[in-house]
Amino acid sequence: MYEEPYRWVEAVGNRREYLDDQFRQGSPLVAVSYVDGIVLVTTSHGTPKLYEIYDRIGLGGMGHPADLEKLRFSILDMAHVEGFQRSPGDVNGSRLIKYGLAPVIKQAFEEIFKAPYITKLLLADMGNLPNQDRYFTVDYDGTFEEHHDMAVLGASTSIQDTMRTYLKSQVTPVASTFQAVLEVAVRAWALGALSQSQDNENTDASSSETPDKDQSSESFSEEQILEHLKTVLTEKTLECAVLERNIPGSSKYRTVDQQELHSLLPLLSQTTN
Amino acid sequence: MGFQGDFFQLLKERGYQFNIPAPNIGEPGHTAQPSLTQGTTVLALKYRDGVLVAGDRRATAGNTVMYDRTDKVLEIDRYCVMAIAGVPATAFEMARVLEHSFKYFRRSQLQDLSFEGKLRALSKLLKENAPAALAGTGAVVPVFAGYDPQQGCGKIYFHDILGAEFEGVDHAMSGSGSPTIRGILHYLNRWSGQPLSTLAEEEATIIILRLLTSAAEFDSATGGVNFEANLYPIIKRITEKGVETIPAEHLKTLYTSKVAQYV
Repeated sequence: MYEEPYRWVEAVGNRREYLDDQFRQGSPLVAVSYVDGIVLVTTSHGTPKLYEIYDRIGLGGMGHPADLEKLRFSILDMAHVEGFQRSPGDVNGSRLIKYGLAPVIKQAFEEIFKAPYITKLLLADMGNLPNQDRYFTVDYDGTFEEHHDMAVLGASTSIQDTMRTYLKSQVTPVASTFQAVLEVAVRAWALGALSQSQDNENTDASSSETPDKDQSSESFSEEQILEHLKTVLTEKTLECAVLERNIPGSSKYRTVDQQELHSLLPLLSQTTN
Repeated sequence: MGFQGDFFQLLKERGYQFNIPAPNIGEPGHTAQPSLTQGTTVLALKYRDGVLVAGDRRATAGNTVMYDRTDKVLEIDRYCVMAIAGVPATAFEMARVLEHSFKYFRRSQLQDLSFEGKLRALSKLLKENAPAALAGTGAVVPVFAGYDPQQGCGKIYFHDILGAEFEGVDHAMSGSGSPTIRGILHYLNRWSGQPLSTLAEEEATIIILRLLTSAAEFDSATGGVNFEANLYPIIKRITEKGVETIPAEHLKTLYTSKVAQYV
């Protein structure tokens, strides 16, 4: 029945609707450059959602954990075989995404008799200087984008725009310290999560009408953002990883543990009480 | 495949061949003899805070000195090193495979490979390499040392060319200069009144410099210390903080004050 072009377009359209729906409850993701590295922030229910891919490359994702794992393994294989057969310096995020992951995701998305990957990915590739850092995001349909300074994942394009605008107004990557940039990243995350839940409420309230996207996001106060963060963190764990430019050894990726997070973010300690 | 976290297997699936079999091994007329002595001296010993691993820097081919700045103490990851004696081409390739294997395991399985797991990986490579080792074209006799963060202690192992592993309780060494220093270390450890494991880093470092100087005295394939050229052995310390290289400047000071005057 999908032989007719119209049916195929319709099927892909349905697929978009289905997938958009899958991300509505997902945890957004924020990655920002600072002078000594890159900070990645999200929340999880125990299973980590931030991963080390290669010496200077970190990965984060939204979506179905099993799909995320599958794609993570394929990018790990690519990176390590390349790094071994050539040199670690030849492994870069751009090629991994453009020639590795994106085509696979796109193909799965368009083969309408098979299941698509329910994932959005963000890959951070750290350079020697903040202005050499590169970020790549891949949507569930295989569309990829390249960013400088910072990148985000969220349930929809408008939520991602809101988060990015907020981040841009708060950080100057070359001047920021780890602690400062971590705090902004956590706030940007909370803004994204809050906007998502607002959107969900709107959609539920008026499921027949199209939700007015711009009405919800832009106008949250700092208090509302913090309040939402506190609520979320009663059930979920804040997860943070960092790529550090200047640590010794070839692997630059490090998971920031809860103890360190609490000492760096006073606002977290307030929430646990 | 990848879900096992086995990088070596992955490489093979992608067409990588670790060991090119020697063409005429086992055939009549094949005369190459496995060379069991390897031109070098590397050693590891346990001291108070962990393990010190050292190697001279000479690479030889027959009677020719190929190179005097070789680094034979290879950092495999944050907590372990492999000191190599034998055919450098094979040894460096092994180190590269190991380094990527450990990283791949950690990143894919989201946990560190245990010290025993790391040792096993090296044994497997040596076993794969046995045909080349026996043909005389690729023998490697490594000393593998590290700090086991799970057990909180330093560990030393040495291997034969076929992959058998032996634990060096206090020390281990390999290479053509090793017979010279083996006896000295045994004597020092047993009767000097100060077992190696009680030594502070500086005392242990002085002993290592003296040992390598002794090895160079009797073995032409060991470089020792070349004071005129400002060339010192590579010595790395492995403690709970990980692997660190002892700076050549520090070795120079110790050599000048504690080693040179006795020679």
